[in-house]
Amino acid sequence: MMSRRWLRLFVLAAFIAVCTLGFGYGYAGAQSLQAMLDGALQTSAAPGLLGPITEAGRVGWACKPEQMAGAGAWQNAELPQP
Amino acid sequence: MRRSWVVPALIFFAASAALARAQMYPRATPLPQTTSVPALRALATQREVVERFHRGLAAEERRDWAAAAAEFERIVTLNPGEPQNSTARYDLAIAYANLHRLDDAARLLHEAIARDPGFLAAMANLIAVDLARGDLRDARTVADRFVTAAPDSARALYGRGLVALRSGDNATARNDFGKLLQANPAYAVAHYDLGLAQVRSNQYASAEREFQLAVDLAPAYSRARFALGTVLLREGKREQARAAFASVANDSAGDPALRNLAVAMRDAIKSR
Repeated sequence: MMSRRWLRLFVLAAFIAVCTLGFGYGYAGAQSLQAMLDGALQTSAAPGLLGPITEAGRVGWACKPEQMAGAGAWQNAELPQP
Repeated sequence: MRRSWVVPALIFFAASAALARAQMYPRATPLPQTTSVPALRALATQREVVERFHRGLAAEERRDWAAAAAEFERIVTLNPGEPQNSTARYDLAIAYANLHRLDDAARLLHEAIARDPGFLAAMANLIAVDLARGDLRDARTVADRFVTAAPDSARALYGRGLVALRSGDNATARNDFGKLLQANPAYAVAHYDLGLAQVRSNQYASAEREFQLAVDLAPAYSRARFALGTVLLREGKREQARAAFASVANDSAGDPALRNLAVAMRDAIKSR
């Protein structure tokens, strides 16, 4: 009788351990999957450098880099393309 | 009566012709009208500054950054007045950035802005250099100043939004990319970044809408489509998510890391 009781307890303990391990493994897997996905969501690229300016300086109609820096339209500002 | 307009028209014509001549044929360097040694030295220095600008710009055009840096370093040493002083530092910073001397480039751009506080192009380039060298704190300071100086500038809003997003300030990122999109609703990259800021703020429905807009505007934008897949997965829309990952797996040959991830996600959803 004693041995059967111990056997039942052992089976129950083993079942709980397997469930705990399974849950832990699944939870860790889900966490690592989520972390992997979050890591893949990178921001877009930094904008490139604007070009050089002549000795006349930034003020004036011919200074394209300064115009690009102040432009409101993204196509005129040399921002990254998709 | 009919002749009343002829005289003003002739004057206007003469004036515009003179202006056109002045633009087409710039005057040669004037001969020195002095025998003063300091004045002659100043003229020679100014002549050297202009000549070195021309040589430095020509070197930058052919991407000979070391030669360009040498020319602009000499101009900085000559310490000309404005606008040449801040401009030489700006141009030297471009050469240094391309020579991977990012800290030197940042220092020079700070000096250029100190000499010319409204120098927008220098602010734009300093943000780019700061992002490249990973100095988000300095990038944010410059970006705040840039947005204050030019609140409607696409570069200013994009730069500060990106810096905010990379440093975890999602509220500022949402605000700046939102404002950028008010003026540029067809800019797919801004929709993508706004979507990222919303994901990081747990606003998944809004993020899904932004990623979808980015993909609609630029169907080959694989990174936006992948982001759309992750949001759909979070929302429990497994079939739609799998379709998004499958599409990325097919269309992102240029980005092997993203493609492998998309394949793994597609198969993981399929096998469950």
